[in-house]
Amino acid sequence: MKTKLIFLSLALMLITGLVSAQSLYRTSVGELSFFSETPVLDIEAVNQKTGAILNVGTKELAIQAKITDFQFPNKLMQEHFNENYMESERFPTAKFAGKIKEQVDLTKAGTYSVTAEGNLTIHGVTKPVQVKGTIVATATALQVNFSFQVRTADYQIEVPTLVFDKIAETITVSGKLNLVKQ
Amino acid sequence: MLAQDDLLSMLDEEQSKDPVYTMATFKASRLINGQTIETISKNHLNFWISHRFGAVNSGFIANFFGLDEAKIRLGLEYGFTDRWLVGAGRSSLEKTYDLYTKYKVLRQSNKIPITVTALAGWGINTMPSGYVMESGSTMKFNNNIERYSYWSQLLIARKFTEKLSLQVMPTFIHVNKVEDPSIPNQLYALGGGGRYKLSQRFTLSAEYYHTFRELEDDEDDDDGGGNAAFPYPYRDAVSFGVDIETGGHVFQFHLTNARGMVEKQFIGQNVGSWGKGDVFYGFNIARTFSLDKSARNTHK
Repeated sequence: MKTKLIFLSLALMLITGLVSAQSLYRTSVGELSFFSETPVLDIEAVNQKTGAILNVGTKELAIQAKITDFQFPNKLMQEHFNENYMESERFPTAKFAGKIKEQVDLTKAGTYSVTAEGNLTIHGVTKPVQVKGTIVATATALQVNFSFQVRTADYQIEVPTLVFDKIAETITVSGKLNLVKQ
Repeated sequence: MLAQDDLLSMLDEEQSKDPVYTMATFKASRLINGQTIETISKNHLNFWISHRFGAVNSGFIANFFGLDEAKIRLGLEYGFTDRWLVGAGRSSLEKTYDLYTKYKVLRQSNKIPITVTALAGWGINTMPSGYVMESGSTMKFNNNIERYSYWSQLLIARKFTEKLSLQVMPTFIHVNKVEDPSIPNQLYALGGGGRYKLSQRFTLSAEYYHTFRELEDDEDDDDGGGNAAFPYPYRDAVSFGVDIETGGHVFQFHLTNARGMVEKQFIGQNVGSWGKGDVFYGFNIARTFSLDKSARNTHK
């Protein structure tokens, strides 16, 4: 037990040494939702357990959501989403790792329009993306809001013709992340 | 790039603490005739339409290879919680009403290797007294209690891979009245079945129920059921099927030697024989409805 603790504190020191803890903002209950709109059917799902970390020093940003945490009003749709489209047993997460391009000082209170540039991984496929959003900075928290479009075909998500769940080719993904200073 | 990946691994470390439950071990709450470990989600309603046509060997002119007639079961299932459902149905075979409940006791996850569901059911045969059974015997009822039957099952399944799931089903059936003293009122059976997914929406399935008549404890009989005067008329049910899934529907097409769609019938009172060719085509259609209005409103 003691050696475990020592290891743990060593590991913690290592991590805090790599990325200064002072400049980290973090959440594990961020909200990520997507919306698919077709004339036949609108589908919306929300993930309220999205994890995100932003380092205001380096302006690096990481977001990760478990596919199984997306909640649908219709659970059968949720099952199909996991089983047939996202194959969540093989590809359990969707994630983004990138950096904010603009020269902004997020430690000062204010509202900033920003662009994050980085790699988005969905369904095991990684693509470079640029996402526009806003950050409302206060002394202790950053409220990050963004919205962008994802083409299902870009991430090899196959939507066969023999289905009654009509799914749009382009899906709107939006996020509301309330990052708290660590 | 390295620092960003560090941030990601910090997130991953936190998120991987939660257990990951296996989902969709089977496409539907029924495998072919019998049940699977699957229950339906809270506030969801399943509507089942099942048909078993006449025997394939019943002739072209006489019966259009069985398609001239069908036994039908209509059923409803409702999920009170994500793990507990209650179902009811009505079969035209022996005009039987059935009522059952299913509870998912254990869920397969990255920590637990199997899913276990318990099932209990009750049925009532509403044929007029003195009708002729599928086995050819005449059945007389003196009171309503004699029309009842009960069954219970433990459904144990494991999703081995994305494609392959297997299930075993220890089963106990009690029928209040049987047609002949040589037939046991109590029946133990062991079912086995599984599915193999050929593609995302196309699945092969198979189901077999073996009955253990020699284990019954009917005091009238010591020869394991059947005698020269009254040979045991029932056989084990063997079924093969395909499942096709189209969003809100699951279509199950199958070939089976069992014509009943209630446990008491397809496990315990099954007259068809694959050897003789009395095999039945059948299908089940399941349609799932979400009655969860509150979830819908919060997301709009």
